Amino acid sequence: MSIYLPIAELSVNLFVLLSLGGVVGFLSGMFGLGGGFLMTPLLIFIGIPTNVAVATSANQIVASSISGTIGHWRQGLVDFKMGGVLLIGSIFGSILGIWIFKTLVSSGQIETVISILYFVLLFSIGSLMLIESSQVIRDRIRKKTVKKKIHYHNWAHKLPFKVRFYKSKLYISIIPPIIIGFFIGVLSATMGIGGAFILIPAMIYFLGMPTSKVIGTSLFQIIFITAIITLLHTTTTFAVDAILAFFLIISSVIGAQLGVLAANKLRGEEIRALLAIIVLVVAVKIALDLLVPPEEIFNLSVLRVIF
Amino acid sequence: MRIKSIIISIILFLTLNFNVAALVIGSDEEEILIDANFSGQDLLVFGAFYADPSQPRDEKGDLLIEVVGPSEDVMLRKKKSFMGFWLNAYQVEFRDIPGFYYLSSTAGIDKEFLDKNSIGILKAKRSSEIDWSSLTINWGRVNSDADKKEFNDALIRTKTRENLYKETNDEIEILDGNLFKTNIHIPNTVPVGEYAVNVYLIIDETITKQYSYHFTVTRIGIEEAIYNLAFDFPLFYGLISLTIAVITGWSGAELFRRFRKS
Repeated sequence: MSIYLPIAELSVNLFVLLSLGGVVGFLSGMFGLGGGFLMTPLLIFIGIPTNVAVATSANQIVASSISGTIGHWRQGLVDFKMGGVLLIGSIFGSILGIWIFKTLVSSGQIETVISILYFVLLFSIGSLMLIESSQVIRDRIRKKTVKKKIHYHNWAHKLPFKVRFYKSKLYISIIPPIIIGFFIGVLSATMGIGGAFILIPAMIYFLGMPTSKVIGTSLFQIIFITAIITLLHTTTTFAVDAILAFFLIISSVIGAQLGVLAANKLRGEEIRALLAIIVLVVAVKIALDLLVPPEEIFNLSVLRVIF
Repeated sequence: MRIKSIIISIILFLTLNFNVAALVIGSDEEEILIDANFSGQDLLVFGAFYADPSQPRDEKGDLLIEVVGPSEDVMLRKKKSFMGFWLNAYQVEFRDIPGFYYLSSTAGIDKEFLDKNSIGILKAKRSSEIDWSSLTINWGRVNSDADKKEFNDALIRTKTRENLYKETNDEIEILDGNLFKTNIHIPNTVPVGEYAVNVYLIIDETITKQYSYHFTVTRIGIEEAIYNLAFDFPLFYGLISLTIAVITGWSGAELFRRFRKS
């Protein structure tokens, strides 16, 4: 059974669409990520035009991150104040990001730039996570216990405009979170991702937030940033496909809940190692697409239909 | 150019007293509707042709069926390797090309005939001496005729692979010498708009009769509503998209919480 997508202007198999949403939702529920970094390339892979894939992913992430935030908020694991500060930065970042996106679309380099960005991000994060999680697993096998500091004191504590974040037990300058938010905003708008897989390590290592509060807080701010990006896309690129978004949202919300169940059966480091492997596989696939000589060196895009 | 062929047939009609030839056609669709389940559709074109009605069993004459979709502007980009990376390097904009083109003939028609009568996708494709000026094209940084030909061929190749351009000479079924029928596949990627169907009867290498009619491809129902909303009221459309996302995400979490409690 196939379904016609009015904005993408083609029909896709409904079963493929639902399983794609379900699988990405499952992984995002399991790993606490929005899942956009997997959703966008997979949508492009099944033939959805890049601009529609990027814009519609943002809309889908709104739903999955709301679902996730509610779960974390009930357990008191969301630092709303920190989320708000990050959000201020990301609002400005996403406006710049949409401008970059439009410029790249008109220059014809959008696919290439998105692919390179994805590769660099996914490869570096995937390798770091794999190294870190395999060390933990190895230490556990050797029955070694490593004592960790609660948080790190670094340059983020020495800047002006210091604010107290009670929930995260932090007293730091608001400049680093604003800069991080700005960077995430740019990435989200250009790549159609929530940016959790960058935001989470940044909050742990740069801001020194406790890991337990990080996932909920990042999901909280991703709701707003992807909501803003969805609106910016519907008004500037006209590329959000409501039918595509609807089926992805339904299937990913169900998948996400199953993912949370599955995550409870695994240890944290095992989950991180699995995620690292998935991220690296996606990175390698993207790199091959860029480096292997293409079968068809021409590509066509319709600019305007004349009525 | 089609006017020229009509004029030729009128002149022939008058001078050679060719009024004995006849062509009648019909079709099963005047409108192709794109709804949520649209996955392409077959268009049936049928009819009868007589080179000479007084000789009904005379198997004389050939048919040419052309379907031309709405015009569109396209951008064709060519990749080039930069330090191992394949990047879009050259781009050419083709204006006013058919978004869908189908040409079907009975076996008796050869390429020279099409060249002579200027029938075909971007007529330039066929002739050895290409008249570039006849096409509205922004060549950008592409200069040489060899490069231009490469782009032209790539345009037709890409559209053909997307099932939007097709040329065939074995799809028209001739029944009983004078009746014909053919099924033209309209794929799910077709542009919305007005389509022209031109049927030519060709006798002795000359277009003797021509018959044209139109059909439209239209979005209907929810497809139409969403498309219009997205382009006419983008902010409202965005807010609706967000509302759906919020409600679904929230209720997903709620349902799951109750499910876990029980």
